[in-house]
Amino acid sequence: MIPTFSEALYELCGFARVACDAALVMALEVDHDGRAIPVASSPPHRFAGFNLNRSGIFDIAWSDQPRLASGFRLPTAIIHALSGRPASILFVPSPVDHAPKSGLLLFWTDVPPPPHLVQHVPLLASSIANTLTTRREAVRQVAMRDQFNDLLDSVPSGIVLFDGDGQSAVINKRAADLLAAAPGPHRARDLAAPMRALRARCDNHAELDAVYAAHVGNVDYAASIHWIMGERTFDVDTHPVSGDGQHGRIWLFTDVTAEIEMAARLRGLADSDSLTGLPNRRYFERRSAQILADAQQDTQGVAVLMVDVDHFKRINDTYGHPVGDEVLKAVATRCRGALREHDLLARFGGEEFVVLMATSDRNQVGLLAERLRTAIADVPIRANDIDIDVSVSIGAALWATPDGDDRDLLRTLVNRADTALYDAKRDGRNCVRFSAIG
Amino acid sequence: MLILSHGFGTDQDAWTSLRPWFEARFDVVSFDLAGCGPSGAESYDFERHGSMFGYADDLVELMDELELQGCVYVGHSMSCMIGAVAAGARPDLFDRMVMIGGSPRYLNDAGYTGGFEQPNLDQLYEGMAANYQAWVAGFAPIVVGVDDREAVADFSRTLFHMRPDIALNTSRTIFQSDMRQAVRRITTPVHLIQTSSDMAVPIEVGEWLVDAIPDATLDIIDAVGHLPHMTAPTEVIRILERRLR
Repeated sequence: MIPTFSEALYELCGFARVACDAALVMALEVDHDGRAIPVASSPPHRFAGFNLNRSGIFDIAWSDQPRLASGFRLPTAIIHALSGRPASILFVPSPVDHAPKSGLLLFWTDVPPPPHLVQHVPLLASSIANTLTTRREAVRQVAMRDQFNDLLDSVPSGIVLFDGDGQSAVINKRAADLLAAAPGPHRARDLAAPMRALRARCDNHAELDAVYAAHVGNVDYAASIHWIMGERTFDVDTHPVSGDGQHGRIWLFTDVTAEIEMAARLRGLADSDSLTGLPNRRYFERRSAQILADAQQDTQGVAVLMVDVDHFKRINDTYGHPVGDEVLKAVATRCRGALREHDLLARFGGEEFVVLMATSDRNQVGLLAERLRTAIADVPIRANDIDIDVSVSIGAALWATPDGDDRDLLRTLVNRADTALYDAKRDGRNCVRFSAIG
Repeated sequence: MLILSHGFGTDQDAWTSLRPWFEARFDVVSFDLAGCGPSGAESYDFERHGSMFGYADDLVELMDELELQGCVYVGHSMSCMIGAVAAGARPDLFDRMVMIGGSPRYLNDAGYTGGFEQPNLDQLYEGMAANYQAWVAGFAPIVVGVDDREAVADFSRTLFHMRPDIALNTSRTIFQSDMRQAVRRITTPVHLIQTSSDMAVPIEVGEWLVDAIPDATLDIIDAVGHLPHMTAPTEVIRILERRLR
């Protein structure tokens, strides 16, 4: 783009030089402060920029009359570009908005300017001005494109940008890596297949297909969905440019794997008991609500065990709190080992633990509770090189045939199990007692 | 009337040792080049000072403003070529010129020894861009060339005072320049002075200059380094005594 417009200016300079026998003709873009950029010249010459504010050129109302060069302080670069000393000079102002002092500058050395030819040169002013303006716009667009491309690759997301005409698209480096394509401009249709292939590779592609299918035919749709690709998850946001699909569509692929892992870790910390690593009461209540809801749906029974360490205060008083903590940790580990994988075990607080299991079988509940009790009592717990005999009392409550309308099932079950636990304590501890419901 | 123009990385204080000698014989004007000295950042224009011609325009404007004509011009290093451009464009301003450690082209070329190859220079620019302070610490002693702690300290100090981006652009402008065409236009008498061992300017450069300038003398002084006006002032004065009489 730019060379074309510069070329036009070179041709204008060349035309002016031949037409009026000048030694040098320059097209200058000059800003308000006199900073001049020689855009083209004839003969062609590489000029650096210079300043003309103190040259005297702008102190004169120019017509078609050349002046004596000795009356001006000319930039040394111009004098050195001429083969002889400059004798005459003519300036043809061609002001443009961004450079109000622009114009065509003509020099003669030994041959005096022929007046009948020179008088036509000012006619070039509007052409020069138009070309300078068009060139400036082209330069600006190239600069904007460079800035845009820089920005495009600075963003930590893959970007796919479809033009409003539906014909062209551009992708940045990160998107190029995802799509196994080259970064930069593409034909829109050449990107459709890689985009589809990427979606097909996702673990949740069926869900994605359904979401996007719902938007077919709506050019203004916006959606933000996680695309799960094995170990990595991308948040994929798509929306119309400036809210209008006619302007184009943008796809942003942001790798959120690290954020998701971090969120999970934080959730884990909030949901677990820091001493034993077991789920805490908060998590138990949330999770058990789900288990109960599922059980009610499947008309399956559930059971709760309340497990309490016998004479825990005495252990603390005898051996100190650090040993007490070790005992609780060991109890937690043994409980977990005695239960099935899908049984929910949590520390309820203090020396109290709770178990929620999905079953309708009273015998199975009794068996598991007994297994749990013996896991603690059979072998002394070793803490700080001391063997301590520890036992637990267990209260069990079973809801064998849920009728589906008890909203407070969990609290009811826990209360019943608590009452049974009280029975176990009263009956001498280190035993299991049942409170059957229904 | 005599005008003093310093070289890259120094300012007009570089003339401190020679100034008394000049002042005893001439009315002396000295100035800081664009990009140098206390107000270097304000005077520097990346576009205008991207070539020696911009500096020469500054010099011509300054001399016109002070209404100086027929001056003796003394330039060091890059100021030699600034003077050459100015004298080629405006011979009326100069009576004669002294050029200390000047070079019209630093890159070797067919039939011309400038002393540098492009990779040497690219390495120099990279060093400047990566860590300017570290670069100065390495560059200053090499340019001074002799074990003159005061000169190294002075040169380092003025280099440090340059804004790094300006220093980098200036050294690019200098080292990538080819002013041989401009030198050939000089009609003013020129006295060339250089040391017998200068990391920036090989002896061949002085020989090329004395051949290219119609009215020129070349004195090679028995000294080392690129800054003889600072490190070997008595040697320089001995030449000046002879040439400026």
